[in-house]
Amino acid sequence: MPVVDVDPDELRYLTGHSEKDDDELKSDLFNLGLEFEGWTEDDEFQLEFAPDRLDRLSVEGVARSLRYHYGDDRGVEVPNTNSADWTIEVEDQPDERPYVTGAIVRGLDMDEAALESLIQLQEKLHATMGRKRAKGAIGVHDLTMLKGDSVTDETGKSITYTSADPDEATFVPLDADAEMTPSEVMASHETGQTYGDLVADFDRVPAIYDAIGLFSFPPVINGRRTEVSVDSRDLFIEMTGTDQWTIDHMCNIVCYALAARGGQVEKVDVAYADDAPGEYAGKTLERPDFSVRTKTVTHDRIESILGVSLDSREVIDYAERAGLDATETESDDGVAYEVEVPPYRVDVIHPLDIIDDIGRALGFNSLEPTYPDVSTVGGRHERSRLEDAARDALVGLGFEDLLNFHMINEAENFERMGLSVPRTDEQASGGNREQAVGEADPVTIQEPYSEDYTILRTWALPSVMMVLENNTHRSYPQDLAEIGLAAGLDDSENTGVAEHRTVAAALARTDASYEDAKARLQALADAFDKDLETPPTTHPSFIDGRAAEVVLDGESVGVIGEVHPKVLVEHDLELPVAAFEFRLDALE
Amino acid sequence: MKRPQAQVAVLQAADAQEDRRIDDVAADADLKPEAATRAAFELEADGLVSVAEETLEHYELTDEGDQYVRESLPEQDLYEAAIDAGAADGPVQMGQAIGASGLEGGAVDIALSNYARKAYGEIDSGEITANPDADPGSDPEMLALEAVADGRVEDADADALDQLERRGLLNVREETVRSVQLTDDGVTALMEGVEAAETVDQLTPELLTSGEWEDVAFTEYNVEADAEDVSHGKEHILRQTANRVKDTLVGMGFSEMEGPHADAQFWINDCLFMPQDHPARTHWDQFALEEPEEIGELPEDLVERVRSAHKEGVGPDGEGYHSPWTEDIARGMDLRGHTTSLSMRYLSGHQVGELDPPERYFSVEKVYRNDTLDPTHLLEFFQIEGWVMAEDLSVRDLMGTFTEFYEQFGITDLEFKPHYNPYTEPSFELFGTHPETGEVVEVGNSGIFRDEVLTPLGVDCDVMAWGLSLERLLMLMYGFEDIRDVHGTLCDLELLRETEVMR
Repeated sequence: MPVVDVDPDELRYLTGHSEKDDDELKSDLFNLGLEFEGWTEDDEFQLEFAPDRLDRLSVEGVARSLRYHYGDDRGVEVPNTNSADWTIEVEDQPDERPYVTGAIVRGLDMDEAALESLIQLQEKLHATMGRKRAKGAIGVHDLTMLKGDSVTDETGKSITYTSADPDEATFVPLDADAEMTPSEVMASHETGQTYGDLVADFDRVPAIYDAIGLFSFPPVINGRRTEVSVDSRDLFIEMTGTDQWTIDHMCNIVCYALAARGGQVEKVDVAYADDAPGEYAGKTLERPDFSVRTKTVTHDRIESILGVSLDSREVIDYAERAGLDATETESDDGVAYEVEVPPYRVDVIHPLDIIDDIGRALGFNSLEPTYPDVSTVGGRHERSRLEDAARDALVGLGFEDLLNFHMINEAENFERMGLSVPRTDEQASGGNREQAVGEADPVTIQEPYSEDYTILRTWALPSVMMVLENNTHRSYPQDLAEIGLAAGLDDSENTGVAEHRTVAAALARTDASYEDAKARLQALADAFDKDLETPPTTHPSFIDGRAAEVVLDGESVGVIGEVHPKVLVEHDLELPVAAFEFRLDALE
Repeated sequence: MKRPQAQVAVLQAADAQEDRRIDDVAADADLKPEAATRAAFELEADGLVSVAEETLEHYELTDEGDQYVRESLPEQDLYEAAIDAGAADGPVQMGQAIGASGLEGGAVDIALSNYARKAYGEIDSGEITANPDADPGSDPEMLALEAVADGRVEDADADALDQLERRGLLNVREETVRSVQLTDDGVTALMEGVEAAETVDQLTPELLTSGEWEDVAFTEYNVEADAEDVSHGKEHILRQTANRVKDTLVGMGFSEMEGPHADAQFWINDCLFMPQDHPARTHWDQFALEEPEEIGELPEDLVERVRSAHKEGVGPDGEGYHSPWTEDIARGMDLRGHTTSLSMRYLSGHQVGELDPPERYFSVEKVYRNDTLDPTHLLEFFQIEGWVMAEDLSVRDLMGTFTEFYEQFGITDLEFKPHYNPYTEPSFELFGTHPETGEVVEVGNSGIFRDEVLTPLGVDCDVMAWGLSLERLLMLMYGFEDIRDVHGTLCDLELLRETEVMR
């Protein structure tokens, strides 16, 4: 969940509520869904919130939400914009990153706090909507440092979003003193090392030029020439990315925040060349796009979701308090509302989202719970009933019921049990090869996070042995059993995985013998009216001559025996263990 | 007359003329005193003997008292030293007298306080005098100490004994001494003849079938003694909790779902309207499988409807996401990160056929998250998942259902904090009051499934759903602090064995 640092003094200043103390602010913020997580070193609130309202990733956005909450503002507000003076020419830009947008904000009087908030907003948008800059990256520049020679028109000025040879273009990046090529930035600049991967495979990298030369290498780093400081009054904002809608809306959120600081937004034309890659070839877009989207939501749906009766006046009032504008209209489904959604709201993608806003404005917790008046008949799944019945029988036989992880590694599942690790590349999975219990080809995890968990277990006895190993300091006998999932590769399954429940049991006691295990297995088979046979077999985990197949009603479903001394020693056990394992569905 | 062996022996050892101490009777009867006492009370209940009780006081010297009786009292030492220093003639420096007495530490205070009390002399302003008329040689407390040491308590002065007890030189222990005397009925019984009945340790099948049990007496056990530990099996505490949850939900009309742990991202994420570039869909959050890499088949028409929901949205005003969507990613195999994949399979009609409202379904099953292991997070945990399908469900129905569910576990005052999930709207985090600590704790996540989830699945009524980790419920109810003690191969058998059962 996103976390944003917000200075409470800034909040008081931007909301105009200097009378609110910190605790009142925290409580108001909580009601908006922003939870106080703690203080930063600079005495700022750390606020955590759900990742829908990305327009709240700055103190300006949080303050705007508070003003609606307090009733200071109502309905949709759109900042004034001046017409475009600058153009972003788009030509020969990389296919992989075809889109750009931009805006100019003039007349800012930024202090440290405002500048910090802008930087934070940029970072937080990168992390969320921008998908770590892959989908959208923001560059903010000091406009006065840009030289926009007119290319197409004598009055207008322009910069160009294009591509550059990573080994030839040069500029001085932020936090550097010398000219570097994009390749050098990716290789040796700290920021370049972090974000270089995003463009490392490109033949030509994204580049933005003005009349002087290269000044930005998106999405990696800006040039030092146009660096923004507290003295910057006019800003040029550009964003590049893989989706026009996404960067346009990131741009809207930034423009709204700067407008809240008293900035005057000025439009920028984004002119895609006729042969430019992407969806907008030959088109000129006027940005930022502050157009208001409209969604229609029916009165019936609002009432049925919220479970309360409302009149239209109330609906319109709640919508306005949520920063929306609603107008009553007629639809095929009766009374409805045309609801206008401001350009910074990236989370409203369906009329339901508006109903949620209305519910929040009304206060969900003020609603009286009701128990739904529909009746259904409940029941357990038959597999789960069988599992419970078998577990009860095992507990009745004195076994301690265990619950282990389904994930394990090859060493535990195979090698430490005396089995060899199946080599799936040589042997088609689920083939005709005769496999001992536990020898199935395992389901493997991609790029495992932990070496302890790399596959799904193919049987449960290894987990039981691990519990014995970890409890040698506890009193014996230790009679342990587990019923749980085991899985293996199987081409005949649609998922490619055969999953089954397995029953594993072990008797660890100074005089544990095959007979002890068989007596309990027999009791279990009898309890489920199954005919048990135990023809001799060999299994690497068990002592030869003391191992048998578990055959229930004529079908071979498992193995029983005295665990092999090498397996016991491997698990640091100093007493014998007799054990069995078989498929739970054999008891059906 | 037949009576148990111990009673016969006591009857025979008792006297009709005088009270005999139980200890003496026991010695004569060759019984342990406890057995003789028990027999005496049994005989008294039948009127054959009378039992008298007397309380005796025993005096015993403490270690300190024992030391003084062998040496001398500290105040005696001080008196001698003071006399030697000439204190009988006038005040002398106290330090001098004490130094000469050889007293040290606590003994000095003891000497000084008793010196004045016994009028051995006066102590004032650091000077000491000695009363030449005092006679420490016949100090009554010393005499009493000697009397106790010699076993002549009766010679000791009663006030001196009290004083010694107060000084901690003497302990007084009270003992109840019982004695028995034959009653007339007892004498009569003896004259008529009393035989010892046979006593047995173990009730045997032979005793029962032969009828001999009627003529035997059973030896008595110490029924208060500790018995040996019994090893026994017990259902795992987390399973017990799961079953408790299942029982509750079945009682509320929910049916249990079942389905694959390893499943396509399509069922796990795409059906749930999770954009494919959602941060939670990276392999850092979920376990992607290397083998098998892809699911065999997905329902083609459903895939198209899900793709369309993501790209174009649902309904005239639906926008969908501005994120890429490919079937390749949807086909990728994962370990399920939530059991909502089961809900999707069931709602799609591909698991148990088309469902018509109303329906209620649940599962309490494992899910897998690529998270850091710590006391409250496991890579695998159980998720409680439930949903209700009906026409025109409202958030109030959702609140009512969950209020009812959590009350079964003592969690009350449920609060619904508006929240965001990609797949539900409205969504709520559920907070409740802990039954023991009274803290407000998060107990789940819930909401009404979005149209973008339901429409592609072919569901045209409302479905509300919620999820909660079973481990969290267990920790709330039992106060476990480290979930790893319970779940997994690091579990402590002792803890599992000792944990109380779920009720």
